[in-house]
Amino acid sequence: MKSFRRLVYPYLVWAGLLIVLPMLIIVFYAFSTEGNSVIPVIFTFENFARFFSDSIFMEVLLRSVKLAFITTVVCILLGYPAAYFIARLHPDKQEIMVLLVTLPQLINMLVRTYAWRGILLNTSFSPELKVYIGMVYNFLPFMILQIYTSLSKMNPDLLTAANDLGCDEKTAFLKVTLPLSVPGIISGITLVFLPAVSSFFIPKLLGGGSYVLVGNLIENYFVTTGDWNFGSAVSLIMTIVILISMYFTKKFDYDKEAI
Amino acid sequence: MEKLIEFRNIVKKFDGQVVLKGINLDIFENEFVTLLGPSGCGKTTLLRILGGFLEQDEGSVIFNGEEISGVPAYKRPINTVFQKYALFPHLNVYENVAFGLRIKKMSNDLIEPKVNRMLELVGLEGFQKRKIDQLSGGQQQRVAIARALVNEPDVLLLDEPLSALDAKLRKEMQQELKRIQEEVGITFIFVTHDQEEALTMSDKIVVMKDGNIEQIGTPTEIYNEPVNRYVANFIGQSNIMDGIMKKDYLVRFDDKNFECVDHDFKKNEPVDVVIRPEDITIKKKNQGKMNGQVISVLFKGVHYEIIVETKRGVAKTIHLHVLGNEDVYNEEANEKMSAADFSMDIEDVDSITPQDLILRANAQAWKADESEEEISINEVVYDIKAEAGRYPVIFKTANGTSIEADVNVVKPKVIADEKEKIGIQAFDVYKTIDEIKESMAISVDLKNWADAYAWDLETENEVEIDDVRFEFDPMEIEEGTYEVTFVTEGRTYKIHTTDEHEEGELVSIDFGPEDIHVMEKSVG
Repeated sequence: MKSFRRLVYPYLVWAGLLIVLPMLIIVFYAFSTEGNSVIPVIFTFENFARFFSDSIFMEVLLRSVKLAFITTVVCILLGYPAAYFIARLHPDKQEIMVLLVTLPQLINMLVRTYAWRGILLNTSFSPELKVYIGMVYNFLPFMILQIYTSLSKMNPDLLTAANDLGCDEKTAFLKVTLPLSVPGIISGITLVFLPAVSSFFIPKLLGGGSYVLVGNLIENYFVTTGDWNFGSAVSLIMTIVILISMYFTKKFDYDKEAI
Repeated sequence: MEKLIEFRNIVKKFDGQVVLKGINLDIFENEFVTLLGPSGCGKTTLLRILGGFLEQDEGSVIFNGEEISGVPAYKRPINTVFQKYALFPHLNVYENVAFGLRIKKMSNDLIEPKVNRMLELVGLEGFQKRKIDQLSGGQQQRVAIARALVNEPDVLLLDEPLSALDAKLRKEMQQELKRIQEEVGITFIFVTHDQEEALTMSDKIVVMKDGNIEQIGTPTEIYNEPVNRYVANFIGQSNIMDGIMKKDYLVRFDDKNFECVDHDFKKNEPVDVVIRPEDITIKKKNQGKMNGQVISVLFKGVHYEIIVETKRGVAKTIHLHVLGNEDVYNEEANEKMSAADFSMDIEDVDSITPQDLILRANAQAWKADESEEEISINEVVYDIKAEAGRYPVIFKTANGTSIEADVNVVKPKVIADEKEKIGIQAFDVYKTIDEIKESMAISVDLKNWADAYAWDLETENEVEIDDVRFEFDPMEIEEGTYEVTFVTEGRTYKIHTTDEHEEGELVSIDFGPEDIHVMEKSVG
């Protein structure tokens, strides 16, 4: 066993170089600003102060969270019935349906989003609505698959037992099926909310320039303005928002509690 | 006792297969009823129909005088303990038990004492907060029972609930279940394939087979008075013999007449006779009903299980001629052939076909390259007369490769043992070394090759050849002639006793008229 442990080293090197180190660099940039010729780097909280003092930045942050939140809720509302429907089909048909759900994912996201741009071009939808449509379309399969997996793992005897103990079909769903699919919903949320809150590509393409989100902001400061210090600070704030929301979603997961 | 449940002519089919063939059964209040039978006998199906999870195709289920066939499961005053418990993994022990009461919208202050009392009943006080996956199999079992009983059902259904537990725990739970049933005083319907479980716990056992009820009775009735061979075999170990009822109180089996307590059979009616192993005693030679030899002694903890052979098997010895591997090689066609000599019953000569000869000589032809592709034999030349003797047979392929084998036509030498009334016959066998080495089950193959057959001289029924004896190692065999002996099963009696006996000891077995139980021959 011990000799197998060495197999983890390549990953440790990989993670150290490509994940931990860049993160440290971001932290470094976020807490610093370009100095003068004598002192090249000055440590400061200025970047954070700038973000929280300007209401526009807060607005963008809230807009991003709101977008991710509504996208997630819509994905649950659309995805749950779909997953429930698939899970109750004959096993052969389940495979076909799962394939149908995953198939669009095989096409590059860029191509799909450009297709949506074409579709939505001549509609009178607001830029916001267009972004929502694109977001839900893109993230829905993740939600369906997560919920479907938890539903299909469920022991069908549990429903018979609920029936035996006095539940009609509706009560059995509310008391047994729904609670048991919570882990699926939670991981669905994780897979939808996290990428959604930091997404910049779909809003940029479907919302036009007018719908600015945190993702766009970060992209803008890194790529266009070249202000890496402020960009890093925004990224760090984003990371903290994500960590907090992850903490709260996990709290609902009874499964983790049991361990 | 009041009649609680009546099954009236219940028929159930799955995909055209009849699983229940018209079940009629009455179940009374406060009874512990066991549905006993092997898997696939329909016992679980019957239980699921009563629970409301399945609907019968024909017949009616009457509960407390009312037809309940259309009533959905959740409205029936019946609860079930499922085979794999089906506890809710997202709820703790307390909430699992409280589940049914919460559905009934009972208030918390009513639920709490009920749940706690139930947990006490099943011996799980203090486990309220535990998660289901923190419980052992036996504890989960108890939660499942508490979860069902807390609803105060009129009937509790238990679908093989003990099958997942180990032997010791199962014994404990059997007593526990019986105690719980006596304490709550409701009807338990228990499904199992374990006869011991059924005998231990039940007030009434229903023995089922292939969708029919074979017998209904108390454990003692079922054990002591099984109605047929099937029930006798299923409940406990038994000695079961073919016999003939000579007249009332006199039965004949194993060529002797015995007094018995059974009557009301037809004169000379063929019957099955059961003697339980614990009802037979072993005495000194010539002092009991039948003499015999102890052939096996097994210590079973409390008692010995002793096998006494009262009748030897009948034996027939043949010769196995092992030949070298003599493949014929035809260079011109690049083909190889093989065939072996064989023996044949003189009576079969008239009906012989070329295909038979190819099969019995195991004649084969194949390409002599790596593919070893099989080639068909398209000509068989033979002239076999219905007289004992050796005759050549030539097998040919289309490309002119040929091989010759000898057929040994013989009159079957039947060994007929007049005393034991058993006939046995078998032919000499000619095989190549390879064929013997390739045999996966040499005893079975030898029986087939030699066409070994034994039968009862009186009834013409086949008698099983129980033993094939030979003294060679099939994997190391060389050319030559070997003896093979086929032996039929003798008559043996299984006896449970606390006395010690040695293998090989000559003894006599004894039993009284009341130990003999005569049953009608079961149909099928």
